[in-house]
Amino acid sequence: MTEKLQGQPGETPRKRSQQDLGGGLFLIAIGLFAIWQGSNLPLGTLRSMGAGMLPISLAWMLIAGGALLVLTSFTTAGPDLERWSLRGLCYIIGGVLVFAFTVQRFGLIVAGPLSMIIGSFASDEARLKEAVIFAVIMTALCILLFKYALGLPIPVVNFRW
Amino acid sequence: MNEFAANLALGFGTALSLQNLFLCFTGCMVGTLIGVLPGVGPIATIAMLLPITFGLDPVGALIMLAGIYYGAQYGGSTTAILVNIPGEATSVVTTLDGHQMAKQGRAGVALGIAAIGSFFAGTVATLFIAAVGKPLSQIAQFFGPAEYFSLMVLGLIFAVVLARGSVLKAMCMILLGLLVATVGTDLVSGQERLTLGIQDLSDGVDFASMAMGIFGFAEIIRNLENPEARDVVKSKIGRLLPNWQDIKDASLPVLRGTFIGGLLGILPGNGAVLGPFAAYTVEKKLAKDPSRFGRGAIEGVAGPESANNAGAQTAFIPLLTLGIPPNAVMALMVGAMTIHGIVPGPQVMTKNPDLFWGMVASMWVGNLMLLIINLPLVGMWVRLLQVPYRLMFPAIMIFCCIGIYSINNNTSDVLFTGFFALSGYALLKFGFEPAPMLLGFVLGKLMEEKLRQAMILSRGSFMTFVERPLSLALLIVSLIMLIIAVLPAMRQRRDEVFTE
Amino acid sequence: MKMFAAALAIATALTGSAMAQSYPAKPITMIVPFAAGGPTDIIARFVGEHMSRSLGQTIVIENVAGAGGTTGITRAAGSPNDGYTIMMGHMGTHGAAPALYPGLKYDPTALVPVGIAASTPILIVGSNKLPPKTLQEFIAYAKANPDKLNQAHAGIGSVSHSTCVMLNVQLGIKPTAVPYTGTGPALNDMISGQVDYMCDQIVNLSEQIRAGNVRAYAIASPERSPALPDVPTTKEAGLPEYQVIAWNAIFAPVGTAPEITAKLNDALKKALADETTRGRLLNLGAVLPKENEQSQAFLGEFVKQEVARWTPILKAAK
Repeated sequence: MTEKLQGQPGETPRKRSQQDLGGGLFLIAIGLFAIWQGSNLPLGTLRSMGAGMLPISLAWMLIAGGALLVLTSFTTAGPDLERWSLRGLCYIIGGVLVFAFTVQRFGLIVAGPLSMIIGSFASDEARLKEAVIFAVIMTALCILLFKYALGLPIPVVNFRW
Repeated sequence: MNEFAANLALGFGTALSLQNLFLCFTGCMVGTLIGVLPGVGPIATIAMLLPITFGLDPVGALIMLAGIYYGAQYGGSTTAILVNIPGEATSVVTTLDGHQMAKQGRAGVALGIAAIGSFFAGTVATLFIAAVGKPLSQIAQFFGPAEYFSLMVLGLIFAVVLARGSVLKAMCMILLGLLVATVGTDLVSGQERLTLGIQDLSDGVDFASMAMGIFGFAEIIRNLENPEARDVVKSKIGRLLPNWQDIKDASLPVLRGTFIGGLLGILPGNGAVLGPFAAYTVEKKLAKDPSRFGRGAIEGVAGPESANNAGAQTAFIPLLTLGIPPNAVMALMVGAMTIHGIVPGPQVMTKNPDLFWGMVASMWVGNLMLLIINLPLVGMWVRLLQVPYRLMFPAIMIFCCIGIYSINNNTSDVLFTGFFALSGYALLKFGFEPAPMLLGFVLGKLMEEKLRQAMILSRGSFMTFVERPLSLALLIVSLIMLIIAVLPAMRQRRDEVFTE
Repeated sequence: MKMFAAALAIATALTGSAMAQSYPAKPITMIVPFAAGGPTDIIARFVGEHMSRSLGQTIVIENVAGAGGTTGITRAAGSPNDGYTIMMGHMGTHGAAPALYPGLKYDPTALVPVGIAASTPILIVGSNKLPPKTLQEFIAYAKANPDKLNQAHAGIGSVSHSTCVMLNVQLGIKPTAVPYTGTGPALNDMISGQVDYMCDQIVNLSEQIRAGNVRAYAIASPERSPALPDVPTTKEAGLPEYQVIAWNAIFAPVGTAPEITAKLNDALKKALADETTRGRLLNLGAVLPKENEQSQAFLGEFVKQEVARWTPILKAAK
């Protein structure tokens, strides 16, 4: 109530939830994307629904929900948007991607340590030496566990391009 | 009654042979292990173990494979409670209060109550199968596509109740989950939908890669940005096992959970998935102070965990009495039986009584073993939480990566997980909760399938959902649930307006 | 990837005979394009188990399911053609797929045939709640009630889908098709009378027929099945043109050395001659290939016929 936002003088003071505003817009964007992607799908009739009937109507409902969120965000109080932690995001997702791209080509023996070392830098407490030692030990453990104890067909050593 | 006793005697005679005890134990151990490991599910493991069972007799082989299945349900809750990662759809709800309990230093209590509740539920469900399995299997026959669709609607209402915060946001998340569920090949026409031209999406999004992404990885990134949150777990240890007060608090939820989960488990088409969600909803609605839920309420762990395990047992009913597998794991059990020369069907009970009763008895023995395996492990798991987070999260990461890769031996699943981590993080930042989205996703596929089947069968008339009594009843219950769920939120809104 | 395949093909040609002589020197992966536990998977495991013994190396079954089996075959077809990756193809992936999946990334007739493993006959079954009791009555009923009839199938591209499309085309009927995600749920709804009839492999149906939960109209094979001696053949029941079988056969990627596939074919023949393996397969209700049908050349011809036979039927029904 202490905040006064873009209201004209004399209007009742408004609260605003930045989080809901952003979230609503995000959902609307997803909905529009789905409608664009599904635009070539036949809708069909109720008797024989086409492939597009459900995705498209769900996307519209999502857009409606998002719009409702955007509208109510101007009248309800809520938290502001938090800052994104880019460090965590980049290193964790980077580690996952590295795993995906190396596991079939080189095997777990390369993919394991590499992705774990990259991933561990997502934390600001990371220490290189510790991360390397831990990654190697964990990989060895994983190989024993997944490959030998459980017998999963995961490549361990592989040099195939 | 005499016959019942004789049957049970035959069953225990089979299950308690030295070889079968050993196989049951092995199955339970392997099951617990794969349940704890995120991503590695019972399907991959049972498929890998099929060749090994070639040399065994059919009863022993099936006892072991069944042990893996329900053992995995026990193990799955451990990961959900400790690191907030649901390995399977059925442990999504356990993360809500289970992980909160862990953060409050009550991880031991949560794990303990999950194990005890599961054991109780397993025992009751086993007796259930033995006593009334055959007549109960007829329930499946009352569920046509229309009834199933109405049941799914009810399931979606549960998802609204699950939400801690805004009802509107929860509904949006359900819709998003439903939308993601439509990705993949269309069941009716075979057309690809919303796959962005990626071939690996033609069978849709995999549950595990989505759950790992938006629960596991997004949560890690979030934990890393506020150091206080991640160290809470470490600083407090608390009691290792539940005390009498905890057990008293949990006893009714366990009973109710067992009943709900057991009943839903019988339904074909994976009704067991609904069990934990339904149990959670019931507990939250019956609680004197529903606001405790989502903040570490023991009922929120006890109810769903019992429902989960009861459902895991009763899911065997359609398989053993009708020969019809209700879910993917049971379809694999059909394969296992066939490999051993037993074609599953309605006559397994009469043709192979030692198999039927042996398996039933072994399920109880297995549940007892799981309790004995899991209670001592609680201490170990809790101590594992003391590992510094900077070492713990890379370990979780690598386990998840390997687990996801092993589902289909496919790297694209790992890539999708990376994508879901990013979108899950964005959703968290916008204040959305992931649980309703996952439920929407799980139910979405079934729901569309059943909706379209029902509409095809009714030749395009929506009246089919209202004309069929069971379907109508389910829809009425859904409506009542929705009103109960939405009313408090509306009242709250009004209160807010008035205070302004 | 293409460059690599070409280079490998040359390398194989040069070292071909040397490699083939020491083959197999490590475990062989057999890709099964369906989930574990289904008929094709079980046949692959039975045959693979005996082949492992005669080859002296384990055949590891890897299930790569998806898109009616085409995902797994696409993966297998793109694997190195050194004989260490082979695949279990079937009626759908090597017969119906070219008509159903326009963007198919492999040519079934180009893959190197190893041999037919086993086939499972197809049955036409109806719900107990449906009035007709015999195939002739069923045909009359289907023609008289075109709007009422509901046919279940286990998804586009599945055996139950393709084989029933063929039946419908031959009978000239257009029932309402109700898709399910598998045989299990479809059977469940047929037992309770929600849907009227379906076509599927014998192993999925035999116990339900024996228990009287569903009614078998006919079996689409030349002879009656020992597993269900009371069920008449389509020929006996008056629909001789409906002959269809869900066959399963082993293939190797394009360019696999003939010495290698000959060794695999030899191992397959030994498996099919083994009493235990035969017994296990027959217990499924499967039909085993006769002596003259076990050769690589026979399978090569057979695949060409199957593609030619399925393509017009499925394209017309689309």
